[in-house]
Amino acid sequence: MNDPHEGTVDEVRRSSRCVVLRFFLFLLLLLPITLVAQTPRDAPYIPATDSVVLQLVPPRTDPRVRQFDQLRSDLSAHPQDAAKAVLLAIAYVDYGRSTGDARYLGRAMAVIQPFMATPSPPVSVMLVHATIQQSRHFFQASRDELTQILKRDPGNVQALLTLATVAMVQGDHALANKLCVDLTNDAGNFMGMICSASLRSLSGQGAQANALFSYVEDPGPKAPPAISAWIEGLMADNAARMGLADQADVHFKKALQQTPGDNFLLADYGEFLIDHGRAKEAVDLVDGDTQSDTSFLVLVTAEKALGLPKAKTDMAEMDARFQSMDQRGDHVFMREEASYLLHVEHSPKAALDLATQNWQVQRAPKDVRVYLEAALATNDPAAATPVLDFIDSTHLNDVSINPLVAQLHVLQAAAPSMTSATKRNSP
Amino acid sequence: MNTRKLFITLFALVVSMIPLSAFAHKESDAYLTLRTDTTNNHVMHGQWDIALRDLDYAIGLDSRHDGAITWGEVKAQRKVIEDYALSRLQVKGDGLTCAMQPTGQKIDEHTDGAYAVILFDAVCDKNIPSKLTVVYRLMYDLDPYHRGIVTIHAGDKIAGTVLGPANPVASLNLREPERWGEFKSFVTDGIWHIWTGIDHILFLLSLLLPAVLIRRRLQPRGDGWRASAALAETSGALMALTTQPPRYRWEASPRFWPACLDVIKVVSAFSLSHSVTLSLAVLGIVHLPDRLVESGIALSVMVAALNNIYPVVHKRVWLIAFAFGFIHGLGFASALAGLQLPAGAMAASLGGFSVGVEIGQEAIVLAFLPVAYMLRKTWFYQVVLLRWGSLLIIALAAGWLMQRAFNILIPGFSAIIPN
Repeated sequence: MNDPHEGTVDEVRRSSRCVVLRFFLFLLLLLPITLVAQTPRDAPYIPATDSVVLQLVPPRTDPRVRQFDQLRSDLSAHPQDAAKAVLLAIAYVDYGRSTGDARYLGRAMAVIQPFMATPSPPVSVMLVHATIQQSRHFFQASRDELTQILKRDPGNVQALLTLATVAMVQGDHALANKLCVDLTNDAGNFMGMICSASLRSLSGQGAQANALFSYVEDPGPKAPPAISAWIEGLMADNAARMGLADQADVHFKKALQQTPGDNFLLADYGEFLIDHGRAKEAVDLVDGDTQSDTSFLVLVTAEKALGLPKAKTDMAEMDARFQSMDQRGDHVFMREEASYLLHVEHSPKAALDLATQNWQVQRAPKDVRVYLEAALATNDPAAATPVLDFIDSTHLNDVSINPLVAQLHVLQAAAPSMTSATKRNSP
Repeated sequence: MNTRKLFITLFALVVSMIPLSAFAHKESDAYLTLRTDTTNNHVMHGQWDIALRDLDYAIGLDSRHDGAITWGEVKAQRKVIEDYALSRLQVKGDGLTCAMQPTGQKIDEHTDGAYAVILFDAVCDKNIPSKLTVVYRLMYDLDPYHRGIVTIHAGDKIAGTVLGPANPVASLNLREPERWGEFKSFVTDGIWHIWTGIDHILFLLSLLLPAVLIRRRLQPRGDGWRASAALAETSGALMALTTQPPRYRWEASPRFWPACLDVIKVVSAFSLSHSVTLSLAVLGIVHLPDRLVESGIALSVMVAALNNIYPVVHKRVWLIAFAFGFIHGLGFASALAGLQLPAGAMAASLGGFSVGVEIGQEAIVLAFLPVAYMLRKTWFYQVVLLRWGSLLIIALAAGWLMQRAFNILIPGFSAIIPN
């Protein structure tokens, strides 16, 4: 992504005022040290020339942008037509997902809001609404709404799959399993297999999951690349959980071939690389995508792991980004921030607090892991009890989590009184 | 599988990838900062940082459609940006209204990209109160997840809140409520209300004009008549019953103090009764429709001036002041209600406004009395001011009464006399 300052820097260089440039860079290095806590880092300025590029936005040459225009004018010609609103909203959600730009979720929401305000919104509108809620990590609200939808339309494939995903994220494997069965009955083997395979991958049945995934790994030439990228990503995660790093790496690479630059894949693969002592590759992977918060987090973590001098500046930048997220009052990034606090900032206590809060919202393997790591780092095995119980009941098996469980059991055995006291007090 | 079903299925697959991780970019934010001015209490200096991406979505900044917003494009749209944003922001409180005047345009880099910086002054019609209400409607129709992060710097105190489409209004305490300052501000409002309320002034003047005069009967009658005249004075009902108007003439009051005493009686009676209804109305105990109150005030002006032409009440003019004071008090109350009383500062505002009304009224009396006393012997005072002046006031009040009671506009009338 283009640096908005690029134009300015070029001009300075052209007029060979290198002293100014060096002084500027020197100030830039000092800035994060002195102004760590300040959110608007620089004072507002007036750009040097009219041609300075300030911000990149989707260009009209992008077919998806032209599609937005088309759908928007369709909707404004028929503002009462829910189907047209749903199409536009889906296009926004889809674009937001692939670029990682959460603004498009709000834009989609604004499009369907008039229809949501009616006494009985159409199922298709409610589905988009529930999907946006899920994307913003309002899992419970999304779950309630999807349950409503399935009461009105029991065989709705999208509602079944979305609710199954929510149930897996919330750690409700019983519900997820029931939905996977319904999905197989209503939508055929393809959907049902992906659903079952994902669930097995989370329940310690990695080999079965892998077998099921391999049936659907090639969805055919007509399927959009996003579908095979998604399946490859799930297979990569499953292989990584089983400790098959080489296989995981192959799947990640295949996925990124299908959808280069996909934000979720970049973050996922980046974290995998750091886990496997390949932080240098992680830096190279996300270096061109620093506007993205998830990619930047991978970059900072990798730089810190490598002990690069740049880590200090980038940590200040990451702090500022977390701070501006906090200012909004939303807490979508809790797991990521907990992990950052633990591995980069080395503040285990704050990390554990955040991981505990995050546990109330989501219970995927990565949430389990950061919680246990924080409990170990604070030497507070009792705090990990609810998560250990969860692992017992779901049979989650993950090579990045198993050693943590073993260590915590040792610590709990060493201090049994503390554990039981906490158990009694816990709700 | 038909096309529609396939589409839905594919969409379901695509969106179900989402919850595995957080989105890469945060949602839409804007940063609004307001700073009080150390020298000018009517002004706040504002800075509003709005993401170029949001402005592009709302009003279109990328005029070349090349996917790159340049400083030239932003500069060219300055007026459009300012009109779009500033019309979606209001700053109010305690009857305060503020006009947003743009003062400059800059750019700032935030963690998620470049923002247009709108520099502006909120120029208000009164001193900035201790509690300020911000109404924030940016992006309300375009993005329900937009948030305005509002910070107000008042001296060394900082107040902040987060607003958005679902929650667009917040009241912020800028400093410990400064009751004395609020009191003073309402005193000023009270003074101005009476000075600009020409109907209140005319009512008072109509009652005060005869105070420096004595009405002398030309044919004195017996004691029995005097008793019934006294009754008539108090009731005011005799006028209609009298077949023959009483014969009298005005004489200058020989001494200042009795005249002054009359004035004090009138003013005190008026103050007493209007304070009662003002308080009752502000506290919500009494409520009369505005139309009735305003018509009643017009009627009171008419009656007060009529009494100078066909005197029914003379020695006890204060009774007229007292009786109609109640209705004037209700008029003051509706003016005060228009100023949006701050909750919790009821006593300060009500007290301040009453004191202001008294001061305004006393000032009129103090200006009137010496001049009237000096002119009282002249033909100008006794005929031009008292008789013709009263006739003019009757005509005006009749016009108001017509307009207010029947809710009509008399052509040309409002152009000459406001209110």
